[in-house]
Amino acid sequence: MTETFEAVAAAERSTLTESEAKELLADHGLSVPDSRLVRSPEAAVDAATDIGYPVVAKVSSPAVQHKSEWAGGRGVAVGLESPEAVRDAAAAILEAIDEQGIEGSVLVEAGVDLEAGIEVIVGGTRDPSFGPTVLLGLGGVAVELLEDTTHRIAPISHAEAVEMTYELSSSPLFDGYRGGPTVDRDAIAETIQTVSELLAANEDIADVEINPLLAREDAAIALDALITRTDGD
Amino acid sequence: MPLERLFDPASIAVIGASATPGKIGYEAMRNVQAFDGEVFPVNPSGDGEVFGHEFVPSVDDIETAPDLALLCVPAAAVPDIVEECGEAGVGGAVIFAGGFAETGDDGAELQDRLIEAAEASGVDLLGPNTSGFLVPGDDLYATFTTDLETIPSGNLAIVAQSGGLSYALGFRAQNIDVGVSAMVGLGNRATTGFTEAIEYFDADEQTDTILLHVEGTADARALLATCESVETPVVAYHVGEQDVGDFAESHTGALTGEYELYQAGFEQYGVPTVRSCAELIDAGTALANCPEPDGPNVGVVTAQAGPGIAITDQLKAAGANLPSLTAETQDVVEDILPGITFAENPVDTGRPMPEFGEVIGAVARDENIDIVLVYELYEAALGYPVEDLESVVEAVDKPIVFASGGPESILDEELPKLEAIGVPTYRTPERGADAAAGLVQYAVRNAPPEAAGAQVEVRADD
Repeated sequence: MTETFEAVAAAERSTLTESEAKELLADHGLSVPDSRLVRSPEAAVDAATDIGYPVVAKVSSPAVQHKSEWAGGRGVAVGLESPEAVRDAAAAILEAIDEQGIEGSVLVEAGVDLEAGIEVIVGGTRDPSFGPTVLLGLGGVAVELLEDTTHRIAPISHAEAVEMTYELSSSPLFDGYRGGPTVDRDAIAETIQTVSELLAANEDIADVEINPLLAREDAAIALDALITRTDGD
Repeated sequence: MPLERLFDPASIAVIGASATPGKIGYEAMRNVQAFDGEVFPVNPSGDGEVFGHEFVPSVDDIETAPDLALLCVPAAAVPDIVEECGEAGVGGAVIFAGGFAETGDDGAELQDRLIEAAEASGVDLLGPNTSGFLVPGDDLYATFTTDLETIPSGNLAIVAQSGGLSYALGFRAQNIDVGVSAMVGLGNRATTGFTEAIEYFDADEQTDTILLHVEGTADARALLATCESVETPVVAYHVGEQDVGDFAESHTGALTGEYELYQAGFEQYGVPTVRSCAELIDAGTALANCPEPDGPNVGVVTAQAGPGIAITDQLKAAGANLPSLTAETQDVVEDILPGITFAENPVDTGRPMPEFGEVIGAVARDENIDIVLVYELYEAALGYPVEDLESVVEAVDKPIVFASGGPESILDEELPKLEAIGVPTYRTPERGADAAAGLVQYAVRNAPPEAAGAQVEVRADD
């Protein structure tokens, strides 16, 4: 993992890009969607063919934090079902990168069916007083409104991480509430533990956030990830 | 033992002692009158005596160095005087003055000088910016406020971040006739912080439970680790639910507030938490005076339905489990009281009756029950089932707490009989439930890891 991380440290950036963060998580055994970083519309189509449709195209740049709000909404294109759609979306992102004069590329990623799981947030933060801490919450647009979250001081055992999944008010959703998908609590717990271990083992990491983590019956997949360095601002 | 000369001194110097009523140096002198060790008023401009003790000009002039010095002097003079104390061989000093780290950069600098002086000369500090401490059992009142001798001696150690809150707790204890082994306001925690104080009172033989008030500390992880490592139960009252996290880029930062971390941390490290001074003391008296609970399963026995329902409601909200009684216990209860109102859990006898104590005994012996909570209004013709309960307490090694109501004068007379046999008492149904909830939290939060899975199952069935 540290290769990615050292590169970021050398670049003196405070945050990893989404693809760097996901690579780091994947190196630690977490599931992430198959993806390629490309720099041209043609390469984006090749990547999509390789990965299989549908795909998502996202801007990937150290200069862009909030991808969906970036460049008037051109930073993220989801549900791309055809080569034409991929080409157009990649071209639009690259054009916006040029317009803004920033370094960047296009992340082409396997599209994931959100209906097949439940979006949760798994985060970890290094608190000045408590040290590494982790949280689990119900994800989606209402995360901060509902604040259905539970916290632990890290590190924690697998049993404690599983217990966290039962502590959410939304816990019954995980058992196939009213015909909804059932989710793998163990996979959520493993994700929490991985975040906990990353913070515990790397003083350089200030925050890790996987939001959303798509919890499914068979796995938990990190659909977006943000990793922040301790001495970054 | 560390801090022994500070909290258990044989002699005290009051530095800045004064013969003028109203001055801190006078009030502190008045408060140490009850102390049976040597007392030295120190003041270079002091003349003659104060409270029958002759003034000495400097701490240096005392033949055998006093263990404890109470510093009744302005902030600016404190670091130098602490240095003098250290050179003279004083072991501990209470710094009443404010004007240190709590006031800004200049104060913080003064506090750094103070810490340097204390560490260089080996003096343990309480404060600065504290109201001091008291140990009623030793008639030791190392403070400047009045009427503290009314606080009875007992087995709860109050360790409060705020001096003011330590008094709020001490007087609450006094008001409900609960005794304390010590009451400490930590103030700015220059050298004596939560961890040092908790470790000291863990080793203190008079202390059976430590009551903690926390606003915030720079090393919460060390506080939690200390709470977990000590033998003595700790109950915590953390204030600050409405604080919001600092502005943060990530959801995680925005969602992770101090309050959530303290609640989560205390839960993980085996510490029951409460939300008020009153609850802190009620949970404390239960933990200090009862055997350690083996689990979170509460058996409720009530002589009146309404209070029993209120208790059950509150206990369930607190996460207690009210399991069904075994068939055997139910048969015993049916035998004692044929046609009883409700013979599961809670057991409602409908009214006080001569057999009430036997019913409590049956529930207490039930293998499904870890903690017994009793409610019974006082009834003159029957009195409380003290004798029955005494044999139950001896026979079963389980916490039994008792809530009741009645005229104050009668409760004042009768409830101490229950207290005397190791049954803590509470004067409203809800306070009884709070006390039992403290026991439940203690049991759940200190359950061995293999029991954690069982807890998950309970939640899953909810």
